[in-house]
This record gives sequence, structure tokens and C-alpha cells, in this order.
Amino acid sequence: MIKARNVSLVYRDGTVALQNINLDLQLGGLYYVIGPSGSGKTSLMKLLIGMEFPTAGFLEVMGQPMRKRETAKIRKLRRDIGPVFQEFKLISGRTAIENVMMGMRFLNIPLNKAKELAKNTLSRVGLEHKTYTLVDRLSYGEAQRVAIARAVARRPALILADEPTGNLDHDNAVKIFTLLESFKDKNTTVMITTHATHLIDDCRTATILRVEKGKISIERGGERI
Amino acid sequence: MKNIGYFLREAGRIIRYNRVSNIFSFLGTGLILFLLGLVVAVWGISSQLVVLLQQEAEISAYFDKSPENPEDIINSIKLIDGVWNVRYVGAEEARVRMENILGDESYILDLFEKNPFEPYIEIRIHLDQIDPVLQSIKNIKGIDYVRDNRGVLEQIKGITRALEILGYLVIAAVSITTLVIISHMIRQGIYHNREQIKTLRLLGAPDSFIGFPFVLVGFLLTFGGGLLAAVLITILINRGYGQLGGTLPFIPLPPKDRLLLGIVTLLLSGSAALGILGSLFGLSSISKENHG
Repeated sequence: MIKARNVSLVYRDGTVALQNINLDLQLGGLYYVIGPSGSGKTSLMKLLIGMEFPTAGFLEVMGQPMRKRETAKIRKLRRDIGPVFQEFKLISGRTAIENVMMGMRFLNIPLNKAKELAKNTLSRVGLEHKTYTLVDRLSYGEAQRVAIARAVARRPALILADEPTGNLDHDNAVKIFTLLESFKDKNTTVMITTHATHLIDDCRTATILRVEKGKISIERGGERI
Repeated sequence: MKNIGYFLREAGRIIRYNRVSNIFSFLGTGLILFLLGLVVAVWGISSQLVVLLQQEAEISAYFDKSPENPEDIINSIKLIDGVWNVRYVGAEEARVRMENILGDESYILDLFEKNPFEPYIEIRIHLDQIDPVLQSIKNIKGIDYVRDNRGVLEQIKGITRALEILGYLVIAAVSITTLVIISHMIRQGIYHNREQIKTLRLLGAPDSFIGFPFVLVGFLLTFGGGLLAAVLITILINRGYGQLGGTLPFIPLPPKDRLLLGIVTLLLSGSAALGILGSLFGLSSISKENHG
């Protein structure tokens, strides 16, 4: 699913975001990427979705080498990725269902099927009553769930959630983690970054990737209890 | 085609987002295209005038003495390539014609004891063959002098040529201006929607999907301008034909329906093409700036 060999990322201003990362992540896994703010979690996510490219080493996502010269192929690869952004990136002026469908309109999914998938997913994230509400009128937590629905509705092979709990309180943050974890299956890998390590203490099914000063170490796998 | 409803809604949103600018670009494009229609109309009418004048190009051949048998000379002239009609005008007919031209002043012809006019041959030729025809007629035995109105015809041809050049310049100006207006509007639209575009790219949307609503906006604005120009030019030509037909009936106007059909087709197809091209220019310049 994800293969990294001695991957480094150095930004133009000289900031070393990631250095010599080696990873072999499997399809159907659940991964938490933890570490303090500025440790390189978001940089890792950016590499995996092709927003940034390794300045050294080799990175492959679902068989696609992540190189700048392959941006067209990477754009196609993104159709198999469900990204949940830190700042949601919902499209304002549109309803919740329009936002969820936005991720499916350019795929080979018939319109009716896409609409059905969007409704079902909104229902699964507990927002069936907000299906036709403008996203601008949703609360922070609701907007976050629409962003999750948009990412997962098209059944991606890889769900990447970057700090999805943001400013949510403990209970709601755990709900979001639990919701995201529920989308993991044998065909779907879920990777979540968070700086709130205390929120995943009771998650035992996940593999923990600790990022510190641009370096990654694998801590443990377990099961949420 | 499954997304056509979505594309139209997005295009509507883009237009509404920049409502005032888009209204002005629609009006501006409409007026520029109207100007194009106007030039094309004048061009069409003057071309028709020249074609008719060319067909009507007439020269007169005078005899060196009254011929005993003008039929021989007429038959010789008819055989010349570029001549399409030859007619003998007798001295009396020449006088009557002059009386008609002089109208109320024709009494001055009564001052002459004898008819001052001579018989001559009226020859209609193709203007583009005027030189060889003139030379051939001058070489015919019995012909003393050939009078042509080439100067006037050349002047009219010159004016038409100038109009033609002006037409091309206007077409170039209209095309460039429309392309600039539309590509600028598209760039502005893309700028206002840059976050949405980034998000769609991160979701894996192809550029064609992202760009289509913008192309649609360019098409709708310019085609709308073309429609406006077509309506204005139709009103103008209808009124103009009514007035010209009444006050200047001798001007050989081309058939109104044919002229209108040509101009309206040009305006609509041209505006559609310019709209799409302008949008693509706008899109290409932006895609260079936003990779990923």
C-alpha cells in the first residue's frame, strides 16, 4: 500500500520536515501518526497525497511512485484516496450532499448511485438531517463529519485524515476517531494524524507511527478497548 | 453528460459571484460584436455595389466616321473575350438620353440646329478585363475613340478595398479584445474559486472537470454578447433598409435576408468560438500557476 525508502522532505526555506523515512504499510491497516505540532505529520500526509514530493529517497503509494514528473498519474491516484483535511476544505455555498457528491462526480459512478452513496454516508456519520443544509450553516463538528463523509463515500482504498479532531472536546474527538476507524476493512487502509496522543491510548487495533523531528518510529499495534 | 446540470449550476454561481463585472463584460462584448456586425454589413453592401458596378461596367466606342454598316463592327466587338453585351446607340437615342439626364435643363439642346450627338456603341464588359478589351476595341477598324469610366470604378474598388482592410482590422480588434475580456473574466473567476479548485484537485478531479464550468461561463458571456449584437444589428439593418430603400433607391443593396443571415451566423458562431477560446486561454494561464 505505502512503501517509503530513505524518504526525506526538505522545504525550499531549508526546513527539514522528514528525514530518512522507511515504511511498509499494508492494505487494510489502521495507522495513527502521532507527534507534537511541527514534528512532520502533516508533511507526511502531503507526501502521501502528492501535495509535496520527496527531496530524497523513494516513495510509492498503491504502486504509484510519488514523483513530481508523474503529477497526471498522481491526480488519478488521488481518486483512490479519501483525504480529510485539517481545515475541512468544504466548498462553501453548497449543501452537505453537494460536498459529498463533489468527490464522486468525476468518477465512473452513475449520478443516482453517487447520490445514494452520499446519502448513506451522511446517514452513517449521523448527518442525515443535515443532508440539504448549506455547509456554511453547520457546526464545527458537523462540518468535520461532512468532510469525513466526502472522503469515505467513494470507497477509497486509503483514507488519510490530518488532525481530524482539531478543536473538538474529548468525547467528540473520540467519536470522530471511532467513526474513522469504522471505515477500515480489508480493502481500506485508514491513516490518522493527531497530536492528541492521550485520545488514542485505548486504541489497540492501530499501528502507531511516532513522528519526532522528522523521523518516524513504529510504536505498537493494538486494539481499541 | 451526467454532470451537465452541475456544470450549469457552477457556471451560474461563477457568473453571480462577479455579477457586475460579468454584466459589463457581457454588454461590452455585445457592443464590440455589434461593431463587427456593422462593419461586416457595410462591407457586404459595398462588395455588392462593386460586384454590380463591375457587372455594369460600361464603355462607349465612337466611330471615326458614320459607318455604313455598324453591324460588322458590333459583331467584331461581341467576339472579344470579356465583352458580355453590345448595343448600337443611334444619334437620336443619344440625344433623348441626354434630355433625360438634363431634365428641366434639356431646353439647351434646342439651341443646336442639328443634333450634336453622334451614334456610338455601348459595350458592357467585365471590369477585371477592361485593359485587354479596350485594346482590342481600339484595334477594330472604324473605331476612333473609346471612352471608359474606369476612374470612377477604380475609386469605388479602392474604397471597397479600404473597407475590406478595415473589416479585417475590426475582426482582429474584436477577436483580440473579446479574448482578453473573456480570459480575464475566467482568470478572475478562477482566482475567486482557487480554494475550491485546489480541493477538487486534491480529490483527484481532472482539469477538464474543473475547467468546464469556466469554459461554459466564457461561452455563455460571449455567446450572450453575440446574441445581443445580432438583435441590435437586425434592428439596425431592418430600419436602414427601410430608409435607404426610400431615400436612396438607386443604391444596389444585397438581399436583406441573405445579408442578415450571414451576419447573424457570423456573430453567433464567432462569439461562441471566441468565448470558448478566451476561456481556454484563461484556463491555460492559470493552470501554469497551479500545479498539483
